Amino acid sequence: MNLLRSEWLKLWTTRTTWVMLGIALLGEGLFAGLYVGLAPLGEIGEIDQVATGTGLLLVMLLVLGVLIATTEFRHGTASSTFLVSPRRYPVLLGKLAAALLVGLLAGAVYVAVNAGLALPLFSGRGGELPATGDLIDVYLGVVVSYALICAFGLGVGAIVRNQVGAIIAAIAFFFVLSPLPELLPGSVGDYFPAQAIGSLHGSSEGDGSLNQIGGGLVFGAWAAGLCALGTLLICRRDLGE
Amino acid sequence: MPELEVRGLTKRYGGTVAVDDLSFAVEAGKVTGFLGPNGAGKTTTMRALLGLLRPSSGEALVEGRPPAEMADPLRTIGAALEATAFHPGRNGRNHLRTLAVAAGIPGPRVEEVLEMVELTGAADRRVKGYSLGMRQRLALAAALLGEPRILILDEPANGLDPQGMRWLRDLLRAQAGEGRTVLVSSHLLSEVSQTADELVMIRGGRLVAQTSLAEFTAGGGAQVRVRAADLAGMAAALEESGAGVTRDGGEALLVGGLGADQIGELALRRGIALHELAPQRQSLEERFIELMGDEEGAP
Repeated sequence: MNLLRSEWLKLWTTRTTWVMLGIALLGEGLFAGLYVGLAPLGEIGEIDQVATGTGLLLVMLLVLGVLIATTEFRHGTASSTFLVSPRRYPVLLGKLAAALLVGLLAGAVYVAVNAGLALPLFSGRGGELPATGDLIDVYLGVVVSYALICAFGLGVGAIVRNQVGAIIAAIAFFFVLSPLPELLPGSVGDYFPAQAIGSLHGSSEGDGSLNQIGGGLVFGAWAAGLCALGTLLICRRDLGE
Repeated sequence: MPELEVRGLTKRYGGTVAVDDLSFAVEAGKVTGFLGPNGAGKTTTMRALLGLLRPSSGEALVEGRPPAEMADPLRTIGAALEATAFHPGRNGRNHLRTLAVAAGIPGPRVEEVLEMVELTGAADRRVKGYSLGMRQRLALAAALLGEPRILILDEPANGLDPQGMRWLRDLLRAQAGEGRTVLVSSHLLSEVSQTADELVMIRGGRLVAQTSLAEFTAGGGAQVRVRAADLAGMAAALEESGAGVTRDGGEALLVGGLGADQIGELALRRGIALHELAPQRQSLEERFIELMGDEEGAP
């Protein structure tokens, strides 16, 4: 618990977190205000596309997760951190909890922006709002996906450790490599991160075989696996030159 | 039981050996200077004692146990490893707070250590703008947070001005005076010769000497300067007794291999009046250079 509080403090005592999340939320606000508010109604599409937003926060939280793991190695503060907890894995658990929390927090703010701005604009222009229950499902999927993708980034960061390398690896893996198996016949692709997130969002584009909960479980398993591997490596590796 | 101990510690990185079968122990209540040229393996040894790297063979023990088994790490051992290991965008106070919170140390202690290292005024500035000396002091503040029984400081004097050096000396003496264990590394003997009680000297990853500062100052190759009424007779008598005798200018002898006591007794037996009988303390620096070779003094 102390380690979680420490990680939380680390997150908010540098400008990076504020700037990254600020930019992403601003982007979502602009999406709601300009796109949903002004684009021809026919182009905006289904309500679940309106409700899941631009995906900007998804990218930012992926990178933020990587940073939670790698910044300490980049600046050498990992030595002090692991001196407080020489067994190391509790530190990684603290980081995981902080990553999940910041994802949930960003998700909550996002839902407030989206429900407060995009939905009224959409319905005000004659767009058809779905049943409240369906809407809540979409929002829950989005919030959970934010938390999980931050953990996913943390796992990649813990494995790679080099900051720039880990950011590239995380983005390339999630956005470039993991959608590729969709091209394969059958439902193999549904079990890779990109498509699993699509299922978790309950997106109508996702023609996959997984439902929302299935998508969440599959993506959660990816995040958990990466975090477990990263933790194992960090517990074994030497720190310092 | 020694507070800190390494036994047969060996650390290899690929083909190079950083620390080679090193053994020594560090006692409480003393300042122990850990000396050696750059690249001698000091930092590697300290990191092994802190559990930050695992030995290739041998062991590093803190209060008799591997560092990973410390019950309350920050209250057991405090370390300042490098003055650059801060997030440049975080301010000094928040750096200390992240550590204090993780270890369950109450907030007021952060203000106390900031006061101790005289950084209270700069605590709200981001570390990016700190001088090297300020970073050293922030690293020290982090080491002192948990009021640890053991302090491990790697080259803490780097970047300190003369007042800072004196302040550091006083701090280390006070910590040892309270019964704490202090291990402080340096590549310059002059930095620790006024502070340390004990010296551990390594070179090329191997132990060169472990000795008290007093022994180190007095020991090895020490000579006695002798002046006598009958200098030639005294020289002959000394040579008969197997001592090494060299002339120090025209009127004195430098005698090796015999102590002042023995020389005085010899003179009495031969009935030669002594005018001077002075043990020569070889300068620390000379002995250190003798042991370390000419790498010493490289910045």
